[in-house]
Amino acid sequence: MQGQDILASLEKAVITGNKADSVKFAKEALDKGVKALDAIDHGLVKGMTIVGDKYAKHEYFLPQVLLAANAMYGGLDVLLPHIPKADSDKKLVGVIGVVEGDVHDIGKNIVKTMLTAAGLDMHDLGKDVPVENFVNSVKTAHASLIAMSTLMTPTMDGMKAVVDGLIENGDRMKVKIIIGGAPTSQPFADDIGADMHAINAQEAVKKVKGAI
Amino acid sequence: MADTMNHLERGMASLQNKPVDRLVTYPLAMGVCRRLVGDGKMTYRDWASDPKKFASAFIEGQKHFDFDFAIGLMDLSVAAGDMGSTVRMDDQNTPFVTDPALKTVEDYETLTPPDVKKGRSKVLVDGTKLFVDALGSQVITAAFLEGPLLSLTQAASAEKVFMDMYNNPSAVHKALKTITEYNANMVRGMGTTKCAGLVWDYLWGSYSCLGDKEYEEFEGKYARGLNELTGKEGMAMCIHNCADLPHLDTQIKAFKPAIYSMAYYPLIPGSPSAKETIEKGYADNCLIGGQIDPQGFVRWSQEKMQKTTMNLLQEVKTAMCARGLHSKYCIASGCEVPPTVTTRLENIKECVDTVKQYGQIKC
Ligand code: B12
Ligand SMILES: [Zn+2]
Repeated sequence: MQGQDILASLEKAVITGNKADSVKFAKEALDKGVKALDAIDHGLVKGMTIVGDKYAKHEYFLPQVLLAANAMYGGLDVLLPHIPKADSDKKLVGVIGVVEGDVHDIGKNIVKTMLTAAGLDMHDLGKDVPVENFVNSVKTAHASLIAMSTLMTPTMDGMKAVVDGLIENGDRMKVKIIIGGAPTSQPFADDIGADMHAINAQEAVKKVKGAI
Repeated sequence: MADTMNHLERGMASLQNKPVDRLVTYPLAMGVCRRLVGDGKMTYRDWASDPKKFASAFIEGQKHFDFDFAIGLMDLSVAAGDMGSTVRMDDQNTPFVTDPALKTVEDYETLTPPDVKKGRSKVLVDGTKLFVDALGSQVITAAFLEGPLLSLTQAASAEKVFMDMYNNPSAVHKALKTITEYNANMVRGMGTTKCAGLVWDYLWGSYSCLGDKEYEEFEGKYARGLNELTGKEGMAMCIHNCADLPHLDTQIKAFKPAIYSMAYYPLIPGSPSAKETIEKGYADNCLIGGQIDPQGFVRWSQEKMQKTTMNLLQEVKTAMCARGLHSKYCIASGCEVPPTVTTRLENIKECVDTVKQYGQIKC
């Protein structure tokens, strides 16, 4: 298989949510001398972007999106170690999680996937995440982006607590903060001192790319 | 204006689209009514673990607010907890699953139906019986159960189940069959309480989550059997789905519930408003309940609650008259009124009282 075909196969593996194929073609790409970064950008990420668009248009639904994400992560596991150190050091670290008291995590997972596809090294703190875990992430994970999700109104205050905690420990200026989930909005983001708000994963990618 | 029909007369007339003195109303105030019992300090944990305490909230809620219905929602982790998941029970918050029981494909396959005579399943059935005994002669009462796919996603995590729909479909079906068996036993149990209806929570029937194909395969076919059993056991089949993009054609037109309770998300394109729901014929043969933002009961002033209720009344009256309907809409919250300590009880009263005052409909 030629380089172009391998890229197309990687793209297809993601679109069809086939993790085994994604891993197989990622290895083949390396064997055939395709650059890891090209295999990611022009194969895996291209596929994931198509899946994201299809989800936004209600042509794909959560099972397909989650399987595509899983396939993309499978391919990334193979390819990422082969990115030249100089390039991988350039990758920005993002930390994402659902704030304390909220267990709705599907939206967060989709945003994580699309930000990963956009080239960030995303660390997932999970759901029902205590304030300190977000706040400490700037030091422990060297995060330059913090993404917080909540679908519930009563837990929105947790987002403010994180921003305040970052101000208190002096790390606020080292990170960009994006928030999302139905009850949140740009005015709310402004109010609590977060940098950005996005209504969905697509918009999150655009805004994050614009900001960092 | 003073009511001229009693709750049962009005409720029955609404179910049959007959003229009513005013529209029916039921802000979904369940857990929050525990604050009306005794010294007002009952914890959520106690409320959700003791049949008498559970029932007492509905009984006090009825005295206080004078609703047209009483629906026995406890929380969405009853089945998952009885299947062995860890459920966190806070003092003042809805319980939720912190560690799902089903982790592997074998777990789906070896799952056995929880015993409905044990655990919180029993609390739910017994508690439902107690409030139905107390309120059944005054209002339309209904039990509340989680649909099979909801119970499974709670017991195994939603993400896992969604991926396994493709990776291990037969194991997922095996688990769904087991849960459906459990649900059937719960339906029979609820049948003995003599409640008038049974509400199923079918929340994954949402276009932001599943398409028609997956929904039919992984819930529809199980739900149809349970819906039928609900009727056979003497209860009117009802559905609650507070998703942003509900599968109305399947859940209303095909399942044919007596009552459908739904929410509205003005910011989500395509989320159906009350007006659209009625205009598109979904209220023709089904009493639609909705769609006040539940968070309004916490955040809004009483004036804002009154205004919102009046606006909704106007919207549904106009739409119903245009459609030739008399009474097929219940002024309700889109989902449960938040059971937290910060919910303003006076807003629940305001909503009900506004419907009493302005809910008359003459086309
Ligand atoms: C599925 C669901 C559940 C599932 C969650 C399973 C899971 N693993 O996530 C279960 C059954 C567990 C559940 C439980 C509860 N739920 Co619920 N649930 C829903 C439902 C129906 C769908 C949510 C969903 O997954 N949508 C699909 C995903 C893909 O969309 P999304 O999350 O919105 O994400 C997109 C955007 O919001 C955005 N986004 C999300 N996060 C982020 C983050 C960033 C940084 C950015 C930029 C963008 C972004 O991008 C995403 C992708 O495009 C919603 C109603 C609805 N919206 O339809 C209610 C809803 C969220 N639930 C609600 C409630 C009240 C509860 C319960 C308290 C119910 C109860 N009485 O027991 C419990 C809460 C338990 C807890 N403490 O968290 C309320 C919240 C109300 C409020 N404003 O406070 C809602 C809105 C229903 C309602 N109308 O009242 N729920
Ligand atoms: Zn709901």
